[in-house]
Amino acid sequence: MAHILANGIETHVIRMPAGGVPGAEAQPPTVVLIHGLGPDNLASFYVTLAAPVSSSGIEVIAYDLRGHGRSSRPHTGYRVSDFVADLEGLLDALDMPRPVHLVGNSFGGTVAFSYALAHPERVASLVLIESEPATEPWSRRMSTRFERFGQLEHPDEIDQVTAHLGRYGARAAKGASRALRATTMARDIPRGPLLSREQVQSVRSPIMVILGGESRFVDRAEVASLLPHCRIVVVPGHRHRLLVEAPRLVLDLLLPWIAEHDPARPETEVTRV
Amino acid sequence: MNSGTAEVLRELQGIVETLLGEYEVGEDIEITMDTTLYEDLQLESIDLVVLAGHLEARYGSQVNIAEFVATLELDELIELTVGQLVHYVVGRLPETRGLEPSAPETAR
Repeated sequence: MAHILANGIETHVIRMPAGGVPGAEAQPPTVVLIHGLGPDNLASFYVTLAAPVSSSGIEVIAYDLRGHGRSSRPHTGYRVSDFVADLEGLLDALDMPRPVHLVGNSFGGTVAFSYALAHPERVASLVLIESEPATEPWSRRMSTRFERFGQLEHPDEIDQVTAHLGRYGARAAKGASRALRATTMARDIPRGPLLSREQVQSVRSPIMVILGGESRFVDRAEVASLLPHCRIVVVPGHRHRLLVEAPRLVLDLLLPWIAEHDPARPETEVTRV
Repeated sequence: MNSGTAEVLRELQGIVETLLGEYEVGEDIEITMDTTLYEDLQLESIDLVVLAGHLEARYGSQVNIAEFVATLELDELIELTVGQLVHYVVGRLPETRGLEPSAPETAR
């Protein structure tokens, strides 16, 4: 387990070298995987995309967000801008020479988007899985979710979660609910800072949004209207947990996307899966 | 159980006991090949990453737990056992490669 001090946070990071083809390019693309909130941590990428992406000749970095997994959990400081500053600190600490591809699941994509707005020169592309930018409507939805999630100690709520996610998922959700109450996360996160429509549309990085066909987490029409130039892919039959339920589908979208949007990679090396 | 399997199981038992120690769980939990990480040991998802780091540090880069678990379906992952990890690691070690895989059995 590697910890790196980034923006004052002891950040739990895994880094997997670009594997695969011998004699591949000296500077492979780098993908940074950013997980979601609450019960989520870098494990959801570790068990799904990390190894297959790395063995496809792409360097992989995944880290635990502040307050999650094995990274440190300060009591306060959970606005989106704090997570953006953490990512900037991490990329500085890792000495990344080239723009990176940011792949964010749920809230991780929201962080990635705000990062791309603040540091466009460091971002090669954005992939948002079940995720959207930090806008006013997003903030309202997040506040509602935090209210419901904060009540997870209630036996009825726990039963519902258990029915949905099983005992394992319920335990994780309960732990996350406790973590929420131990920090100012639920109050801070919806406060963004929130992005105006103009700010969102000023982001020039190529963007792909991958949504579960049965998920109501992200308003598809809103994303389409907000990001008219992004690629929206809807995966039928999946809900918000698309990444862990259908990792191979996500991988099949991700690998050609990176090949297409990596400035240093010649077109002939595009690998179709 | 051949000696390679027994050795890796002992190693994994040690790692898991350290992880459990952090949760202040009782020390009387028996960790066998059939023990599941999440249901029986109540490990959290991130613990697999930590555990993998220890195994890779011990056995070298030929052991790639991320690669192994990425081949599992979600249901299989949730029911992951100590034995599955042990067999994977043993299969990756050069000195034991080619030996008959030992049947799943209970340690101790």
